[in-house]
Amino acid sequence: MEYLLPTLREKREVDSLIRDTIDKVLVLRFGRSSDAVCLQLDDILYKSARDVSRFATVALVDVDSEEIQVYVKYFDITFMPSTVFFFNAHHMKMDSGSADHTKWVGTFQRKQDFIDVVEAIYRGAMKGKLIVSCPLPPERIPKFQLLYKDV
Amino acid sequence: MPIRPEHAHQNRLWCVFCNFDILELDSPFACGNAIEHLASVEHWKRVKGFMWKYGGGMDRVHLFRIAEVDFAKWEKKCKALKTEGAKAESVGPVVGPWKNIHNELNADSVNSFHKNDVDSLKFCIPNGVVPLHNYTNEKTQVSCSVSSSVSEAEDSQYLKNSTGYMDNQHCSNSLAVNGSVYSGVRIANGENISPEDIIGNVHTGAPPPWFDATKGNQLDVALKSEQSDLVSSKAGKSSKLNPKRVGAAWAERRKLELELEKRGELVNNNYDANWLPNFGRVWQSGTRKESRKEFRMEDEASPKADNQSEVPMPLQPYISKRMVKSALYMLLFILKSPDEDVN
Repeated sequence: MEYLLPTLREKREVDSLIRDTIDKVLVLRFGRSSDAVCLQLDDILYKSARDVSRFATVALVDVDSEEIQVYVKYFDITFMPSTVFFFNAHHMKMDSGSADHTKWVGTFQRKQDFIDVVEAIYRGAMKGKLIVSCPLPPERIPKFQLLYKDV
Repeated sequence: MPIRPEHAHQNRLWCVFCNFDILELDSPFACGNAIEHLASVEHWKRVKGFMWKYGGGMDRVHLFRIAEVDFAKWEKKCKALKTEGAKAESVGPVVGPWKNIHNELNADSVNSFHKNDVDSLKFCIPNGVVPLHNYTNEKTQVSCSVSSSVSEAEDSQYLKNSTGYMDNQHCSNSLAVNGSVYSGVRIANGENISPEDIIGNVHTGAPPPWFDATKGNQLDVALKSEQSDLVSSKAGKSSKLNPKRVGAAWAERRKLELELEKRGELVNNNYDANWLPNFGRVWQSGTRKESRKEFRMEDEASPKADNQSEVPMPLQPYISKRMVKSALYMLLFILKSPDEDVN
């Protein structure tokens, strides 16, 4: 799916996309295209990209790239795929009932789930909220265990 | 030509007073049957009885009938039309029944004057809305008067662009007041001239009367200002967005920067490799700026730690303290025993 959505491999590209996406949600998927779960998420992202294009921009970030490692550390990305949301270069958090509110870990079960999540983030951002609550029911949210500083 | 059956439902009158449905299927003139009924003596009797019974106001009784004088005039005109139609030569192309715009008769409608006249008279509109029969730049005026006399059949007028043939006479049915239905007769009389039509109208491209020539400049200015508003719609859009949204100040600044870059006034080549976005870390304590500083410190510290760990450690077997002790004792024992042998 790399050829369908923009894939970023350099820090400069990521920076420019974060800085140039104005008044729209920026969805950055951190993962690798060889991973099965990543592929599923990429499929959903690609299909929904057009539907949310008025209020969101979607891009893929290759986690295996060297320049991206600084972001991998900065964003504490340990699980693949992880999706981080930005609005006007500000990071948007989402409380989905898990321990990590800073990103979305895993994939979405259906296209509409992704659209709902992006919409919730957009609405919260337009109201000035930096953290929003997840509109999805718990059974559709992927579960994971968060370790404290790699312990 | 009598009216077509498919148009019959649009040209019927229900007389409430007589409880009678008047059809126009075989009437040679528009609303002919209705006019005859309304002028009849029986209808007049029933109208009076109805109004007396239900208290409609006896002073308005005459509104619901056609006076004998008017009826006589109408009949006279109808006869005159018939005789004229027989004498007159064929005129140009004819517009078929007004209702049917897809009427194929338009193509082969070059007929005698009699037929032209009849076709154009087949026209009754139930809701009182009448399409134009004449060019408005011609000096005619359509006036509606319910109580007035029935119109005379006027002479035909030729259109300037030969698209059709129009007659001045038409009739319409209108809904009644107080629940009763009555027919109103519209009169198009060539003798009634409106001086306002001389100036011009929509069809001739004349400006509307409220649009003065002196005000034209003002209108242009208004249009130009609207266009300039559209051009700067970006600024307008941002003012509509919530100023309290996340990163609003940053967004405004960034938009200005991008605009300047587009114009070429500001060339922004200073890409900062150390730039990091605003991010709230997982184990964040404090503001996001602090977490960014913390990360930068960790990032600087981590390369040194990486360098140290890069030296390869040789693998050695594990030696416990007991083993060391026992090895020492053995060594001492061995050293001591040759001394005793010597002694």
